[in-house]
Amino acid sequence: MQIWDSTGSIPKPQRIVAVLWLSFLMAGIATGIFFSTIDPMELKYCVSFPEVNRTEAYSIGFFLFWLLTASSSLLAVFFTYPSEGEKNTGGSSRNGK
Amino acid sequence: MNEVETPRPPTPAGSSHDREVEQALYREVHGLFAGLRVVAVAALLGIFYGLPWLPWDGRQAVLFDLPARKFYIFGLTFWPQDFLLLAFLLIIAALSLFFFTALAGRLWCGYACPQTVWTEVFLWLEHLIEGDRQKQIKLDKSPHSFRKFRIKATKHAVWIIFSAFTGFTFVAYFTPATELAGKVASLNLGPWEAFWLIFYGFATYGNAGWLREQVCLYMCPYARFQSAMFDDDTLVVSYDEKRGEPRGPRRVETDHRARGLGDCINCTLCVQVCPTGIDIRDGLQYQCISCSACIDACNDVMDKMSYPRGLIRYTTQNAIQGKKTRVLRPRIIIYGIILLIFTGVFAYLIATRIPLQLDVIRDRNQLYQEKQGQIENVYTLKVLNMDDHPHQYHISVNGEEIEHMRLIADQNPVAVNAGEVLVVPVRVRADEEHLEHRISRIRFIISDVHNPDLEVSESARFLGPMPCLNPISQKSADGISSRTCG
Repeated sequence: MQIWDSTGSIPKPQRIVAVLWLSFLMAGIATGIFFSTIDPMELKYCVSFPEVNRTEAYSIGFFLFWLLTASSSLLAVFFTYPSEGEKNTGGSSRNGK
Repeated sequence: MNEVETPRPPTPAGSSHDREVEQALYREVHGLFAGLRVVAVAALLGIFYGLPWLPWDGRQAVLFDLPARKFYIFGLTFWPQDFLLLAFLLIIAALSLFFFTALAGRLWCGYACPQTVWTEVFLWLEHLIEGDRQKQIKLDKSPHSFRKFRIKATKHAVWIIFSAFTGFTFVAYFTPATELAGKVASLNLGPWEAFWLIFYGFATYGNAGWLREQVCLYMCPYARFQSAMFDDDTLVVSYDEKRGEPRGPRRVETDHRARGLGDCINCTLCVQVCPTGIDIRDGLQYQCISCSACIDACNDVMDKMSYPRGLIRYTTQNAIQGKKTRVLRPRIIIYGIILLIFTGVFAYLIATRIPLQLDVIRDRNQLYQEKQGQIENVYTLKVLNMDDHPHQYHISVNGEEIEHMRLIADQNPVAVNAGEVLVVPVRVRADEEHLEHRISRIRFIISDVHNPDLEVSESARFLGPMPCLNPISQKSADGISSRTCG
């Protein structure tokens, strides 16, 4: 958190959006594609999973996808900030700028 | 009124709170484009709120029945197997967005985006309760009082009720509306129904009540990449700098040309009405959602000043620079052709869609059996009737590589109810002498008894013993020939 606040040029709302909102959209698409090809009722024969109906399975699937996509977005946002070493030597010197 | 109001230019160095107020409470506008937007808002919201209550053949006309994995859209029933159609629909939607953006800029943002539509409704409610812009600013700046609390509480209560109804409507596309209404009335919602109702309602309240144009600035992916579709021939909301500058206040009767002034009286109304808080006179900016509120506001002022309208107008960069605007240009033609192709293929797929599906599963327990001198394979057929009424289907088998095959089923033809899957075990027999390979390809065909056009087929494998590689023809003494394996 400290790294972000001291060097971050993107406003905080935009970071929150980049992590939560965009991953929400992608999780929605992923859920749609996944569950239109795979019926959760058939899936339960393959994996041991607590008894859930389809609606519950869809919702759980959506949140799992969201968790995944949000984690990816979080790392991506985190990686857009220079590392400690680069920051000390004046930022993007390694890019030759 | 002889003198047109010439308010002070906005002070950019105002406190951040003032800026927020300025942005959040933009001025109401009346005019051609505001009228168009009201029509668009009424039509779109009418469809959104009305559709779940429309009946069709004893069910809801548009219902996405996720638990049953069926989508009902008027007379059609879609299954997960129709996913390709959905993909086509999404591609067509994206291409339309590209096409219309290239042609006419951000039409979507200004008139059709849910964010615009719901924000418009929230602003209207706010206006009803708190009064016009001046009253709203005054109320916001006034100290805490019971009156202020009452007005604010009323506004938020109305917003929340409207949002809750929006959330209800959203869920009503997935759970039949009448059933859902009963559940809400008896406070008997399922956990997920309750969750999505509250979630969608809260999103509406937050996005249209609080975030508003922040959604366009920070959350909308389209706002970020739409400029890629723009060129100098795209219709944009633009300020005619040549005509307007140098700007400055003046009295109506002044001959401003003689004083060296342009047509812009610098009343800043265009800034005040802007939902995203930009000054259109600074040129095209990505924040501009082409809502054309500034056009309406400026035209009003031009009328009062008896100047021609259109100091701010829908135009193109080329037109502003005195060049010719080309509507038909490679970008438009290419987007248009791709859009037409996809729409055509989509229409073809819908028109020729056969609401019947056949899955063939071979019995995995045994490769084959020998019955009465014949080779027998066992299959399970899954016949899926995707239509919305029952059908009778005739099952047959066609040996693509084997002659004289025989199909044995307990019942044939079979009756399948609307939207049901019938599991039919069948056996197929063939003479060993007709088998040329150990694995042969056969084809199951099911066709409607009354409508032979309604037919689908599915291929399967037929297994048998290793066939003779070099059959020897023998002729016995009495002249009867027979074949045996060598």
